[in-house]
Amino acid sequence: MNGLALGWIYVLMALGLTLIFGIMHIMQFAHGEIYMLGAYVVYYLTASFGLPLLAAMALSMVVMAGVGLVLERFLFRPLKMDWASAVVGATGLTLILQSGSVVMFGLYQRNIPLLAQGPFNIMGTVVPKDRIAAVMAAVILSLALYLFLKLTEYGQAMVASAQSSEGAILQGINPNRMSALSMAIGCALAAAGGTLAGSLFTLSPYMGLVPLVKGITIIVLGGMGSLPGAFIAGMTLGLIDGLVPILFGAAWASIGPLLLVIVVLVIRPQGFFGHAE
Amino acid sequence: MQNKSSLISPVGWALGGVLAIAFPLALSSIYWTSVLTNILIYILMAVSLRTIYLVGEFSLGHVGFMCIGAYTSALLTMKASLPFALTLPVAGLLAGLTAFSLGYPFMRVKGIYFVILTVVTSESFRQLALNWKSLTGGIDGLIGFPGAGTLSFVGIGQVDFGGPNEYYYLTLSIVCVSLYILNRIEKSRLGFTWLAIRETDKMAGAVGINVLRYKVVNFSIACFFAGIGGALLAHSEQALSAMEGASFGIMTTIYLLVYMVVGGKRRFEGPIVGAVVLTLVSEFTRPVEEYQPMIIGAIAVAIVILLPDGLVALHTPFGRFAGLLVPIRPTKDRP
Repeated sequence: MNGLALGWIYVLMALGLTLIFGIMHIMQFAHGEIYMLGAYVVYYLTASFGLPLLAAMALSMVVMAGVGLVLERFLFRPLKMDWASAVVGATGLTLILQSGSVVMFGLYQRNIPLLAQGPFNIMGTVVPKDRIAAVMAAVILSLALYLFLKLTEYGQAMVASAQSSEGAILQGINPNRMSALSMAIGCALAAAGGTLAGSLFTLSPYMGLVPLVKGITIIVLGGMGSLPGAFIAGMTLGLIDGLVPILFGAAWASIGPLLLVIVVLVIRPQGFFGHAE
Repeated sequence: MQNKSSLISPVGWALGGVLAIAFPLALSSIYWTSVLTNILIYILMAVSLRTIYLVGEFSLGHVGFMCIGAYTSALLTMKASLPFALTLPVAGLLAGLTAFSLGYPFMRVKGIYFVILTVVTSESFRQLALNWKSLTGGIDGLIGFPGAGTLSFVGIGQVDFGGPNEYYYLTLSIVCVSLYILNRIEKSRLGFTWLAIRETDKMAGAVGINVLRYKVVNFSIACFFAGIGGALLAHSEQALSAMEGASFGIMTTIYLLVYMVVGGKRRFEGPIVGAVVLTLVSEFTRPVEEYQPMIIGAIAVAIVILLPDGLVALHTPFGRFAGLLVPIRPTKDRP
């Protein structure tokens, strides 16, 4: 059950990353730090202002969306033309945010309230309720993103922009507005993922690295910029994470997904569901 | 790129050399000598990282090959008790050979895909060093392998490199020779071909350059020197750990990239300047250690936005102004 909950949290990360990559063609290496900051915002809202968890999570998503807008306007938009500079900008941002949060929040591990308490009985197996709540929250958010992209005018504009940026511009879609929207949505999803992970486990300034690597793995496997690919690859990776340690031991589980990425990138660089450039 | 003369004049190089030789004697502190040794090693790492950029790729996995070199040399001196003079080139060769075998699949992808592959690779190497307990000591790491020890030279005889100052001079000479080799390669026909591939790889392929082979050779050469750097680091610290926070973690790889870009990725001097300046910045901000990555990161972001060609481009605003005044003569079309 832990594996399933974590798998869905990684999918939230991957959806944000793939949205940003699909539209801006930037690999957001600081996405793990956004995830971590989102969790800390929730921690302060619940601990200092006594907000209920869901309200704090919603507010944190709004705050991180705002951070995303600022980052897009002042850091990534000037660097969008040159992928190499964007890599350095994103890694530099990682250093700033990570050591900034070490300074501000300290290295103590903190906790935010649980999503739900008590066990839950499904067909004879006992499952903790908070795991189920986390999976449900992640599913609802992914579904909301899907409906937004499918049904609204802005969502369709984003899909068009990801498919062909020139074509979208010819249709009168403002590319900068689409970039800003993708950063805002991506950061909000990362904040939600961080909150869910924080309520299941603990917070620390370094909590963002593992989900970032998992998120990158997922979007490489699924195809960069492909949303259905991210779903399927996320589920596959969650399954691997759950089964390989039991079957082959922990060492292989840490290297397995990395080997998978190498094989996939070499044989099919566009991933399972991506389309060739 | 080819016809631009070096920014730093021969006088400048000579001055740098004299300073590098005089510093440990002038400072006469073991701590500063070890800092200077580390600076030299990171100069070699950053310059060889830039070699990969000559074909237009960024590697975030350079530290993985450093890791290979370090463990190779340490294990060979420890378990097979071979002399450092032999383990150093073997460390480089093993890193280079690993890069050569990985290069064929890796260099088929470009840009951000290559970056992801390399970062994944270096993390795998680190995980391997962490989990291969019987060979690498696992979480405990390796301690107690010998330093450079006594080496014998033809014509000079035996020289003892056991002390920190002696090891510094050994590192200085190895790094200088390596930099000279890398510089000569860049100025040679091989380097010229690499630049052609970076500018337009399709065109280079169309005129008969085997793009993949040249890129693999490039990757192998760069990683050979990363292995040398790793071996130098191993025998300088005489202790190795593959933990996340240690020398082979993802932070080091980011730092190397930042050294190269802040110094200036378009010039050979760039990574040298970047490594020296930023290592000294880290050294002098040691009292506020928790802010160090923030400062380095802020410098990196500022440089990327404001000065994309790095610190070495600061010398030439006059040059750019002169370029505006004297328009470039159009080349005459031959009939």
